[in-house]
Amino acid sequence: MRPLRANIDKTYARAVEASKVGKPTAWCMVNWWEADPILYAMGVEAVYPENYGAVCAADGIAQVHLERCDAEGFPNYLCGYARNCIGYAARMKDFGGVPPDAPLGGMEKPTLLVGSSALCDARYKWVQALGRYLDAPLWTVELPHPGVKEWQRKGVHEEDIRFMVNGLREFVTFLENLLNKKMDWDKLDETVNDFMALNRVWYEVNELRKARPCPMHSRDFWTCMTASLYPGGDLKESLKLYRDLLAEVKDRVEKKIGAVEPEKYRLVFAELPPWHDLKIFDELAERGWNFVIESWAYHPPKPIDLSNVSDPLERIAGQTYQWFTGYYKDAWENGEHMGYFAYPYLEFVRDYQCDGAFLHPLFSCRTATNHLMVVQDRLMQKLKVPSMVVEGDIVDLKAFDHAGAMRKAEAFEEIMDNYKQIRKEAGIAW
Amino acid sequence: MAKVESRGLNRVKEIYQDRAQRARELKAEGKKIIGYLHLYPVLEMLTALDLVPYSMFGDMREPITKADAALPTMVCPFLRSLLDLGLKGKYDFLDGVVMAHMCEVGEKLAHVWRTYIDLPYSYFIDTPHTTYRASLNHHKEQLKEFKKSLEEFTGKELSQERLREAIRLHNEQRALVRELYELKKPDPPLISGTETIRILIALMSIPVQEGNDLLRQVISEVKQGDHAPEKKSARLLIWGSMMDNTALVEMIESAGANVVMDDIWVGSQAYFPDVEPTDDPLDGLVHRYLEELKCPRTFPATSVDSTKKVYMEDLGRRFRYIKDYAERWNANGVILETIRYCDIHGYDVPALRDYLDSIGLPNTHIEWDYSEAALAPLRTRIQAFTEVIG
Repeated sequence: MRPLRANIDKTYARAVEASKVGKPTAWCMVNWWEADPILYAMGVEAVYPENYGAVCAADGIAQVHLERCDAEGFPNYLCGYARNCIGYAARMKDFGGVPPDAPLGGMEKPTLLVGSSALCDARYKWVQALGRYLDAPLWTVELPHPGVKEWQRKGVHEEDIRFMVNGLREFVTFLENLLNKKMDWDKLDETVNDFMALNRVWYEVNELRKARPCPMHSRDFWTCMTASLYPGGDLKESLKLYRDLLAEVKDRVEKKIGAVEPEKYRLVFAELPPWHDLKIFDELAERGWNFVIESWAYHPPKPIDLSNVSDPLERIAGQTYQWFTGYYKDAWENGEHMGYFAYPYLEFVRDYQCDGAFLHPLFSCRTATNHLMVVQDRLMQKLKVPSMVVEGDIVDLKAFDHAGAMRKAEAFEEIMDNYKQIRKEAGIAW
Repeated sequence: MAKVESRGLNRVKEIYQDRAQRARELKAEGKKIIGYLHLYPVLEMLTALDLVPYSMFGDMREPITKADAALPTMVCPFLRSLLDLGLKGKYDFLDGVVMAHMCEVGEKLAHVWRTYIDLPYSYFIDTPHTTYRASLNHHKEQLKEFKKSLEEFTGKELSQERLREAIRLHNEQRALVRELYELKKPDPPLISGTETIRILIALMSIPVQEGNDLLRQVISEVKQGDHAPEKKSARLLIWGSMMDNTALVEMIESAGANVVMDDIWVGSQAYFPDVEPTDDPLDGLVHRYLEELKCPRTFPATSVDSTKKVYMEDLGRRFRYIKDYAERWNANGVILETIRYCDIHGYDVPALRDYLDSIGLPNTHIEWDYSEAALAPLRTRIQAFTEVIG
C-alpha cells in the first residue's frame, strides 16, 4: 500500500519542478475526476491543497498556518484545509515563495486555480479568497446536486450530463486560451479511460472488504484513496499499484487474514478522520475494532459502463455523476431523501455488516458534518446499529479529545453488544 | 362596532408580530401557501399559479430543542432554528415548500426537511453556483422542470401570459421597495433601518398584490415625515448574512447610527434587481436569479478568454455596487455582519474589507450566533465604531 502513497507524495516535487522549468501548474480542489483528466491531458501538473492540508496536519505545521489565517481576518470556523492553505499562501507572500518549513517541498505559486462546486461552498469560495495572495486566474467546475425526488423526473439525468459536458467544454476553451495550446483529444480519451479503469479496480478492492474478517482497515483505505481522489503523480503507475493492491487484498481474503485480529467489532467511520491523531485507530484496533468501510465521499463510483460513449467529456461527466448519484435509485426506493452522503451509509452498514458507526462531526467542515445526525438516526431506525459521536477537526488538533474518545469507546462496546442481540431478535442478518 | 382595518405602518406591525396569521386566513379561504427559503426560488412562478409565496424564517427567541437531532450544532444557527420550527409544527399551515441550493447547508436542509416533514408539495431547485454560459442554459432547463412540477401540483397550465403578469406584479413590488429606499437618502432618513426590515418581512409574508397595496400606503405615510428617526452622525450600510428580525439593526440604531442602506437578503438583495422583459420570460428570470442577485453564494463567471487575474480588479468587479450604494445613500461606514458558520459570507470578509479600505470607506466586522444574547457585547463595538466615523 505504501507505494501508492509515495507515488502521490511525488506530486509535490513534480509540481515544484514543473514551476522551475516554466511548465503550467494548478492548485486544484478535489473534483472527483471532472477537471483532473482535462488538466492531465493539457500537461498541467496539479497539486491538491486539501491533500496538502492533511499533509500539514500530519506534519504538525498546520497550526502555524491556521493561526496565520486567523490573523488575516478569516473566521476561525471556516474549513480547516482552507485555513491551512490560506495561512500557507499568506506565508508564501512573506517569504517570496515556498516557506522553508513546508512539508514535501511545498506548493509553488500556480499558473491557475481550479475550484469545484461539488459538495461544499468552501471549495469555490476558498480559491476566490486565495486571490488575496496569488494573482492567478481561476475556474470553477460545476457538479449538479439534484434532489433525490427531482432526479426521478424524466430528462433530469440527461440534462445534468449535458450541463456538465457544456461546462467542461468551456473549461477546455479557457485552458486553451490560458496555456496557448490546443487540447490533445486523443490523449484526453486515453486519460479518461485510465481514470475509469483505476476507479474500477479501486472499487473492486473495497468490495473485497465485505469479507469476514475484513482484510483492509480504514487506515489503509485513507492511505490508498489519495491516488484516486488526488490523482497527481503518474496515472499509469497508480493504476498498476491499485492492481497490485487488488491482488494483495484478494490473497488476504483467500487466506482469511484480517486487518485486525481478532475482529471483535466491525465499524463504519464517517466522515473525515482526525489526520493529526490517526494513532487512535491503532488503539481501537488493539481493542478488536476493525473499520471495514468509511468516508462515502472518498470512495470511487459504483462501476458504470460508458464504453459506448465516444466523447471523452461525456464519459468524464458520466463517471462523476455516477459517483454522486449512484445511490439515488436505491435511496428513493427506500424512502430516503439524502441520496448522497447520508443514504450510502445505510448500504455500507448493511453490506459490510457493521456493528457500530464512529461519527466524527467537524468543527470546521459543514460538508462532512451536516448529514451525520440523520445518519445516526437512520442507522438506528432502520438497522438497529448504534453510533458513537466524537467531535473534532481534520486539521486543528485542539478540537479533538483523544482520551475522551477512548473512554467513550469502552462504553460503546457494551452498546454494540446490546444491539447485536437486538438485531438478532429483529431477524437482521448480522 | 365594525373592526377598523389597520393600514400602512400599523398593518406592517401587525403582520410582523404574527407573520403566519394572514397566511392561515388565506389558507382558510382555500389558497395554497408555499413556503420558500432565501432568494433563489422563483416566486413569479408561484404567483402566476395563484399560489401564495411565504418566506420561511427562523425565530431566534425560540430555543432549539428538536433540530439538534437532525442538524449538528456546528452549522448555521438560522437554518437550525428554521428546521426546529418546522419540526415543532409551526409551519403546519404550509401546503408545500420550495428550496434552492442557496448554500451547502441550505441544500442539506431541503433534504432533511423532506426526511422529517411531509408536505403535499416540495421542490428543490439545484441553482448552479457559477454564471458560465453552460450554467445559464442549465438554469433555464431547471426552471422549465420546476414549472412542470408546479403545473402537476396545481393542475393548471402556467402560460407565458400568466407568467408575464406575475413578473409585472413582482417588478412593481421591487420598484416600490426601491422607492421606499429613496426615502432613506435624506439626512436624517425618513425611515429607519429597523422599520425598513419590518416592512420587508411583512411583504414576504403576504401575497404580492396585497404587498404592493400595503407598500403604497407605507410610502405615502413615510413621506409625510412623521416616522423619521433623529439625525445621527453615522450613516451606515450593512452587508452580510441572514437577518430575519429587527433585533440587530435596532441595536445598531440605538448605538448612535442610522442604517440607511444594506446589502442583505431581507433587504436590497431581494428587491433591487428586476426581471428584465425578454421574448421568453424564462430568459429574464434566469438572468435575474442567477446573474443579478448579489449573494456571495454565486461565483461570478470568468470569461473563457480571461487569462489574467489581478486581485484589486477582481474586487472591483465583485463589489463595485457596494461603493455605488454607499455614494448614493451617503453612507459613511459599513458594518459587515456574519452569522457564525456562514461560510459563503465568512470567506468574503477580508476581501470586502480590502475593497472598502481601498475606497476609503470605514468598516468593521461583527460575527454573531443568531441569538439576542450575542447583541449586548456587540453594542459596545458598534458604539465605538460610530464614534470613530461620526
